[in-house]
Amino acid sequence: MNKALYAAASGMAAQQQELEIISENLSNADVAGFKGAAATFSDIAGPGGSLGTAQIGTHTVFTQGKLMRSGGPFDLAIDGSGFFAVNDEHGNRAYTRDGEFSRAADGTLRNAQGWRLEGVRIPGDALSATVSQDGSVVIKTAKGTATCGRIRLAEFAAPEFLQSAGGTLFFATHASGKPRLIDPGSANGPAVKFGMLERSNVTIIEAMMEILTAQRAYEANAKGVQAADEMMRIADNLSRG
Amino acid sequence: MTAAYHAPMDGIGWAASAMNAARTRLDVAAENLANGSTDGFRKSDVRGFLSLRGVAMRRVRSNEQGPLRRTGRPYDLAIAGSGTFRVRDGAGHVTATRDGAFTRDRFNRLVDDAGRVLLGTRGPICVPDGASIGSDGTISRNGIALNRVALPRGSTVCSGFLEGSNVDAIGEMIDLLTAQRSFEEAQKVLSAIDQTRERANTQVAQMK
Repeated sequence: MNKALYAAASGMAAQQQELEIISENLSNADVAGFKGAAATFSDIAGPGGSLGTAQIGTHTVFTQGKLMRSGGPFDLAIDGSGFFAVNDEHGNRAYTRDGEFSRAADGTLRNAQGWRLEGVRIPGDALSATVSQDGSVVIKTAKGTATCGRIRLAEFAAPEFLQSAGGTLFFATHASGKPRLIDPGSANGPAVKFGMLERSNVTIIEAMMEILTAQRAYEANAKGVQAADEMMRIADNLSRG
Repeated sequence: MTAAYHAPMDGIGWAASAMNAARTRLDVAAENLANGSTDGFRKSDVRGFLSLRGVAMRRVRSNEQGPLRRTGRPYDLAIAGSGTFRVRDGAGHVTATRDGAFTRDRFNRLVDDAGRVLLGTRGPICVPDGASIGSDGTISRNGIALNRVALPRGSTVCSGFLEGSNVDAIGEMIDLLTAQRSFEEAQKVLSAIDQTRERANTQVAQMK
């Protein structure tokens, strides 16, 4: 019964961890470019059976989010693989799929956290700017149109091994491999969509369904703990008759 | 009483074996329930039978197919049919698993969340850019087969799917209740026999 007690307790702990991950996903369901996470559980093999379950790890799910038209002046979305490379003022480099940029006073494109998009600086005399599919930034001035810089996308051999820096930012790691900068807009490669944002790949309905499943599983395991406890009580009564 | 009717076990022995059997049923039901969210998990069933030592339980691993869940990740693999994935950990131990949640590392190998590498018929499976995983388990690029997930005939690999645990929560809950009740019943029987013996002992003592 002790074995059952611990197995059921490990199941409750696993469902708790699962719920934490789902709620983290759900709370970011409205964040552009956010990528959900998933946990992997494995049974703990013991002599002649399993001793319960344990989480062996989590991974970020890099499936494409839906693209939506948005109102921002410098909203960008990636249709396909790859990341925007962004820098902070200390020269740190991060990678993101969140393309919600705005034009700063110095002409750079910055996201909400102040990270600067690499490869673009819009001159002060620009009246308007657009970004084409291949990432080139086209500005309109009083003198006519001109190209000022090109957005390149970073690709990784193993994006799942990027380290999450909170929210939608990721750092390169040894396991993810070095970033490879590619030009968007080629035949089979990714494209940059101007005036659009990539929605989070977390869907609320799916997350709600997962919550329900995890809750029920938690309850079932709690019943397992109760049953083990009840049987121990009965066993205690043996000596009393 | 003749020798032909001599039982090797008395009532207490029988009741105790029934309590043990109920405990095994509970242990297995709790294990199964705990792994309700473990992808690729295979539940155990217990079968009760009579032996010379009373009621005994045999544990049988169920090979029922678990439900396939769409994930959309290209390196999530699920086996429809029999067979397993062979994965190798850092120490070189090879294990068989039905959990196909793999990610591609920077050497293009498929690894699971515990860092174990998926093995094919030609060593670790590598999926370079542009390669695809066919339903027969063959990894090929431009029509050239690179490696293959070894599977029995008739089994298929579904890329973009995961196989969930084959535990049926309702069945396990029923098993929990059954175990609890039969444990209780056996305990009552044991107590009743115990009381009868106690009475016999005290009454015999009074007669003296």
